Amino acid sequence: MRLSFPYMGPTIVYKKLLELLGHDVVMPPKPNKEIIDLGVKYSPEFACFPFKVITGIYLKLMEKWVDTLVTSGGHGPCRAGYFGEVHKKILQDLGYDVEIIVIDSPHDDYKYFYEVIKRLKGDSSWLQVGRVIKTVYQLTKVLDEIEKKVEILRAYNDKGTINRIWMDAQEEFYQIKNTADIKRIKNKYLNKLAKFDKSIPAEAERYRIGIIGEIYVVLEQSINNQIEEKVNRFGFEVERSQYLTDWIRENIFPFTGKDLEEIEKKGEEFIEADIGGHARSNMGHAIDFKEKGFDGIIHLKPFGCLPELVSQSVADDLSEKYEIPVLSITIDEQTADANVLTRVEAFLDMIKEKDYREVM
Amino acid sequence: MSKMKIGIPRALLYYYYFPFWIKLFDELNLEPVISDNTSRELLDKGVKNSLSEICVPIKVMIGHVLNLDQKDVDYIFLPRFHSIRKGVVFCPKIIGLPDMVRHSLPRLQAEIISDQIDSKSDNIAQLSNHQQLAEILSIPKHKMKKALKEASNFWQRYRNLLYQGYLINDFSRIEDLEVLEKLISKFENEKKLPQSQRKDIETPGNEKIVDIALIGYGYNLSDQYLNMDILNKLKEMGVRVHTFSMAAAEIIEKELAKLRKPMFWEFTNKLYGAAEHYLKNEQVDGVIYLTAFGCGPDSILGQILEVDAKEYDKAFMTLRIDEQTGESHIITRIEAFIDLLRLKKENN
Repeated sequence: MRLSFPYMGPTIVYKKLLELLGHDVVMPPKPNKEIIDLGVKYSPEFACFPFKVITGIYLKLMEKWVDTLVTSGGHGPCRAGYFGEVHKKILQDLGYDVEIIVIDSPHDDYKYFYEVIKRLKGDSSWLQVGRVIKTVYQLTKVLDEIEKKVEILRAYNDKGTINRIWMDAQEEFYQIKNTADIKRIKNKYLNKLAKFDKSIPAEAERYRIGIIGEIYVVLEQSINNQIEEKVNRFGFEVERSQYLTDWIRENIFPFTGKDLEEIEKKGEEFIEADIGGHARSNMGHAIDFKEKGFDGIIHLKPFGCLPELVSQSVADDLSEKYEIPVLSITIDEQTADANVLTRVEAFLDMIKEKDYREVM
Repeated sequence: MSKMKIGIPRALLYYYYFPFWIKLFDELNLEPVISDNTSRELLDKGVKNSLSEICVPIKVMIGHVLNLDQKDVDYIFLPRFHSIRKGVVFCPKIIGLPDMVRHSLPRLQAEIISDQIDSKSDNIAQLSNHQQLAEILSIPKHKMKKALKEASNFWQRYRNLLYQGYLINDFSRIEDLEVLEKLISKFENEKKLPQSQRKDIETPGNEKIVDIALIGYGYNLSDQYLNMDILNKLKEMGVRVHTFSMAAAEIIEKELAKLRKPMFWEFTNKLYGAAEHYLKNEQVDGVIYLTAFGCGPDSILGQILEVDAKEYDKAFMTLRIDEQTGESHIITRIEAFIDLLRLKKENN
């Protein structure tokens, strides 16, 4: 079994998980122009952008003789939960004999879930599996912690220097074997970053932007035109509504996502029912960011995303009621870098200008 | 005292449930007001007041809501369809529709009644699905129960006729309850079969009759403005049209049971089951898949059907409609498709 998986966010986490379980893992390629073009060519026209990117990644992986793909499932109503089934059809139609293992919630189909887990577990004992999961979760938490720091410091320092540290850190985390390694590397890089702490100005002079939206485009820098770096470039700090840790807490470990539930509750004012994806919790996050004193919200969504179209429809009202500017950006294969940059720059200028006038 | 006016937008699930609602409001002594047929002006308003990349059916819906608001209705009836089958829900945009209307059309005069619909079957006549309605209009429980029962029976008769092969279009232009009742009784006692089942339909130039399965949601198939009246155009060409609403529930169940994981969306599943049934059916010559711009579930279903059609060696065409579709474009494409199928049939 030669395994691989879709590329999203800190891929090192999934790789580590499968590797520690003793599988032969192929690292998926990072989405680039070639992969996106390939995906667009073989996907339905109105499929959402993440679907197309993943199609491209899978096709690229076929060149590396991968025979099994592992992906997450879901029970709707967002389309993402059905990606696996459709990708299977597309790949089979193109003549690839490949298996796609979809990890669905055990609530949907207990037997299938058990079988999938048994296969992924391989020869490891349950005790080992427990240890691996703990290590990987620790790793995710640490990665997110460092990244949050990076997203603040990059606003006040040379982009290259901070990015270098961040990249080195990720590189080094590839080598970890146990939780002790994680701790050691974490301290090393947090210390490195701490040297820049004095560059953070006084509270009144800090500007913060919250990024909300569909999880794939929020997490995956290579397809969202490095929006965080763009915002940082203008001296604004960034925080996202989604980190991988949150997703794990919400979906895998029970009873750990209490705070996230509370945030989602705030969103009920605008979207009453659960409409899938993160639409409702995004509205909650927007309100939460405002309460935390953020200066603006950037709302990212892939073209044609079903749940986020609803949240975009109500976002204007939210912006008015909570007095927080919201910029919605649609991401797809035709989104140009300069377009995003111009819109972000204008948005941030507007926030600064508004603030300046209020002070006067 | 004059009757309370309650507006029903002629869009989305209206086409599937309108006899139920018209009968229900009549029983409750309310005056149902139905928005006008879709027109250029109405659609333009909808387009203007919604996001540009949202799907056409939602734009149409927004247009109808605005149209109702101009008719001085007291309430707009916009139930939040959540689920009518265990484990299966509706498209996110349909579930979130009341939120979208509330927060993106702030100048709406009429109050919106948006009961959440959660039912185990297509029959939505449970009391729990109409609590907000009962509360806002202070309707006593027993009266509500009785009205729901009447409406449900009436809707069942309509649904049965659809199973027998009548098209939603045969009814959907009627707004008056009495006329509708008469028509339903007439069809129930009719000796002549509906067009889709009849053997002896006329074709221009006495050519062979072609059987087409037209796969698409009720609101796309039946909105004559939006789809350029495709149903009648096909009929004129001597085509027997089969739609998802004619496929028996058991057939759809059987097809869905073959999937490891059915899709998440109610009507998409219905379309899937019906389409698979028609793809296998020898009598059907070709499948036209009618989809609207920006429809998310359709992008998934379309891909599956396209691959399956290849497998079953059945002629398959996707026809996408949007707010700018030109009539000649639709005619050219269906004419070419039908001509080819007819040629194939006559050569055999």
